Amino acid sequence: MSVTAKARYFWRSAAVGLRHSPFVHFIAVTTIAIALFSAGMARGAARVLDNLLSSLGGEVEVTVYLAPELGEDEVHGVRTRVVELSAGEVTLVPPDAALTRLRTELGDLGDALAELPENPLPATLELRVPPEKRNPASLQALAKELRAQPGVSGVDYGEAAVERLSAIARALRFGALVAFAVVLGATVIIVAATLQLAIYARRGEIEIQKLVGATDRFVKAPFLLEGLLQGLLGAGVALLGLWAFGHVLGPTLGSLFAFLLGPGVAAPWVEPRLALELVGAGCGLGLGGSFVAVGRFLRV
Amino acid sequence: MIQFFHVYKAYPGDPPVLSDINLNVEKGEFVFLTGPSGAGKTTLLKLIFCAEKATKGQILVGGRNIARIRESAVPYLRRNIGVVFQDFKLLPHRTVEDNVSFTLDVLGVPRAEAREKVRRMLKLVGLEHKADSFPLRLSGGEQQRVVIARALVNDPTILLADEPTGNLDPALTVEIMDLLTQVNIRGTTVMVATHDATLLARYQKRTVRLERGQIVSDEDGVKAARRMVAG
Repeated sequence: MSVTAKARYFWRSAAVGLRHSPFVHFIAVTTIAIALFSAGMARGAARVLDNLLSSLGGEVEVTVYLAPELGEDEVHGVRTRVVELSAGEVTLVPPDAALTRLRTELGDLGDALAELPENPLPATLELRVPPEKRNPASLQALAKELRAQPGVSGVDYGEAAVERLSAIARALRFGALVAFAVVLGATVIIVAATLQLAIYARRGEIEIQKLVGATDRFVKAPFLLEGLLQGLLGAGVALLGLWAFGHVLGPTLGSLFAFLLGPGVAAPWVEPRLALELVGAGCGLGLGGSFVAVGRFLRV
Repeated sequence: MIQFFHVYKAYPGDPPVLSDINLNVEKGEFVFLTGPSGAGKTTLLKLIFCAEKATKGQILVGGRNIARIRESAVPYLRRNIGVVFQDFKLLPHRTVEDNVSFTLDVLGVPRAEAREKVRRMLKLVGLEHKADSFPLRLSGGEQQRVVIARALVNDPTILLADEPTGNLDPALTVEIMDLLTQVNIRGTTVMVATHDATLLARYQKRTVRLERGQIVSDEDGVKAARRMVAG
């Protein structure tokens, strides 16, 4: 049989199979769609979480305290070195400006600062590090380098807060991965069990095919195609659901939580890459489920 | 064509279904396999088309030792063996033509060639006018003829029939047996398992008798028929 004739035969058999037990196939498609919709939602939620973390990470600021005896040129020199080392944005806060800021922050109590014989605050450099360095390890290394610079008397970057934030992000990502693996495993089992029902209804056909000399591959091919079609349909339904979710609830969520979650919450929920991933996952689930299910009926 | 050498078949925990079977069936021969229910007739046929594996012994089919055949080679062996079952094993949702061409689909015969072969085979079994009917609309005899057409459409060298007339009335039985005889005359080796003594007497072919899994007699047609009439 030519390849095209074979392909035509397999597609025809797969179509007959889908027509043969529509309810069972509907269940399989729905199961795949629910699993993929959940995975898509999880991806969307992860993206929002990333936005949240980077927006919080953006608040991380490194304060470099300068030695009080530095002159204007030396301060400028330290500032240049800090910019070179960190590749971030540096703002110089002179002692007077620091005192004014402190007075404002203290409110009514700020007047007490006027009693001081001299300004005790040193000049500082406020450094906003680039996003790729907003993690505990990079910040720690940067702080160490900065402390070693001449003219620098101290460095503070809220070490504990940064580490806590990173730990939370790690835990959330791990949890999402475990949840995804559980959903994936459960879906393969459900899809395989559902497909077994469909294949059970056609066990007579399989038996006859085997008795007249069909190879296992020949018997399996239409069932694998059925699984593939189910996966594609399931992915299509899931993408439709995600698109509808993004259009109906996305803008509302964006306006309600923009202050907390940042602008990412309003971004489209179905992007080309996600669509491709879900279609691939759908095909994988359908094929995997069919492969597991059909194997049981090949022993004739 | 078919040779059994000291073949045993047993299932764990049960007495052997077949014991020390030695049998030689020549090319183009017609052999009845007879004996009471449970004697091992069906198991013996199943061993030939590899639906079961022998526990011990060697089986040669067309010179090939199928006791040692690889699982992946079984489909190719089966393409040379037509099998007719007592319970027909027809696909109820496919037409007579589709049921017969099912074998050719599996073998990858081009559609036009397959259609031509199916038409010829349906003519041989006298069912060309029922090509578009569904099996459940046919009588038992007609269904069995469809099964025979399906088994023969690929021109197998061996035809195995397990109680092919078991569900049929006497007139239809004769019809089916005449068809099998015709197939044999065309050169196909035929083995028919039956416990119907009237068939043995009427067709006078070589008869192998099984009892409790052992061959108790192997007689030519005339001798077997004479014994049937006497007994």
